[in-house]
Amino acid sequence: MKRRDFLKRAIKVFFSILAVAILSALVYIYPSKIKNRKLHYMYLMDEDDLPRKGVRKIEFEYKLEDRTITNRVFVVAGNDVLTAFSPVCTHLGCLVNWDNNKKEFLCPCHGGKYNMNGEVIAGPPPKPLTRLPLEIKDGKVYVGIKV
Amino acid sequence: MGKIFDWIDSRFGVKEPHKRFLQRPVPSNVNYSYCLGGMAFTYFLILAFTGLLLSIYYVPSEKEAFKSVVAITNEVTLGWLVRSLHKWSANLFIIFTILHTIRVFVYKAYRPPRELNWMAGVLGFVIAMASGFTGYLLPWDQKAYWATEVGTSMFGTVPLIGDYLMYAVRGGLDINGTTLIRFYSFHVLYLPVSMAVILWAHFHMVKKQGIAGGL
Repeated sequence: MKRRDFLKRAIKVFFSILAVAILSALVYIYPSKIKNRKLHYMYLMDEDDLPRKGVRKIEFEYKLEDRTITNRVFVVAGNDVLTAFSPVCTHLGCLVNWDNNKKEFLCPCHGGKYNMNGEVIAGPPPKPLTRLPLEIKDGKVYVGIKV
Repeated sequence: MGKIFDWIDSRFGVKEPHKRFLQRPVPSNVNYSYCLGGMAFTYFLILAFTGLLLSIYYVPSEKEAFKSVVAITNEVTLGWLVRSLHKWSANLFIIFTILHTIRVFVYKAYRPPRELNWMAGVLGFVIAMASGFTGYLLPWDQKAYWATEVGTSMFGTVPLIGDYLMYAVRGGLDINGTTLIRFYSFHVLYLPVSMAVILWAHFHMVKKQGIAGGL
C-alpha cells in the first residue's frame, strides 16, 4: 500500500470513530430511566366534602422515591356529573387557575382560557384540559394520576 | 516593546506573524457602528470572568442551588456585584449581538466573500441564546422553573421526535435535579467552549477578509 492510500484510509477510519463517538454521546445523554408511567389512584378527600356545584382546587400529597410530592387537581361538579381536571395547561405545561368571577380556567403563562368543561375558549392551548379518572370507594374519593 | 515582552517574544514568536494585522491601518470609511461587535465581545469577556467567579460559590444541586444563589447575593463579599454584572452583561451581550447583526445586514457586509462569516455569526447567536436559556434555570427559583417548563415543552412540539427531544433536554420526564445539572454543564462547559471556537473563527475571517466597505 502506498503511503498516500494509507493516510487516506487512516483519515476515513478516524472520522468513522468520531461519528460512532458522537452517536454514543447522544445515546449517553438520553435519560435511561424513562419508564412508562402507570396509573395510580391517590386519596383526594372524603365523599362528603365534594363540592355540590362549582369548581374546587384540591391539593393532595403522595410519596415518590422517598420524596413527598404535592399535586393538585380541579374537581368540577356540574349537573349530576363530577369531573377531575389536571391543572397542567395543554399549551406548554404551566398550571392554570380557576377564576370564579369569570367562570373560567386561566393560564398565567400565555393567557390560555378554558371553560368549566375544560374546553379551550381563548388563547393558544391546542387541546382541552386533561380529564383524570375519579373513583369513589367506601365514601372516599380517589383520583387517578400517572406516576 | 518592554524588556520582559521582548524576552518572551524572542522565544515564543507571537509578534512577527501578527505584524501584518497589528500595523494595518483602520479603513477610513468606518464609523462608530462598527464597534457594536466589539462591544458584544467585551460583554462576552465580562461574562466569562464573572462566570468563573460565580462558579466558585454556586452549587448545581437540587437542594443547594437556590440557597447558594441567595448566599452569593447576600453573604459573599461583592457577590451581589459579580452576580449583577453577570446578569446585566448577559442581557447586554444579546442586545449588542443583535445590534451588530443589524449593522452587518444594513451595510450588506454578509455578501461574498463574507457569507461564511455571517453563518459563523448566526451560530454564535444561537449559542448565546442557548447560554441565556440554560443560565436562566440556574437560580432554581419559581421563575426559573416555569420558564424551563415552558421552554423544554416547546421541544415537545417538534413533529415525530418531539417527546424524545424533550426528555433528552430534561434528562427525564420532568424537570428535576438532573435537568439542573445538565443545564449547568452546558452553561459553563459546552456552550462557552463552542462560543470561543466560533469567535476565533469569526475574528479570523474578519482579519483575512478585511472590513467591508461602507454603504
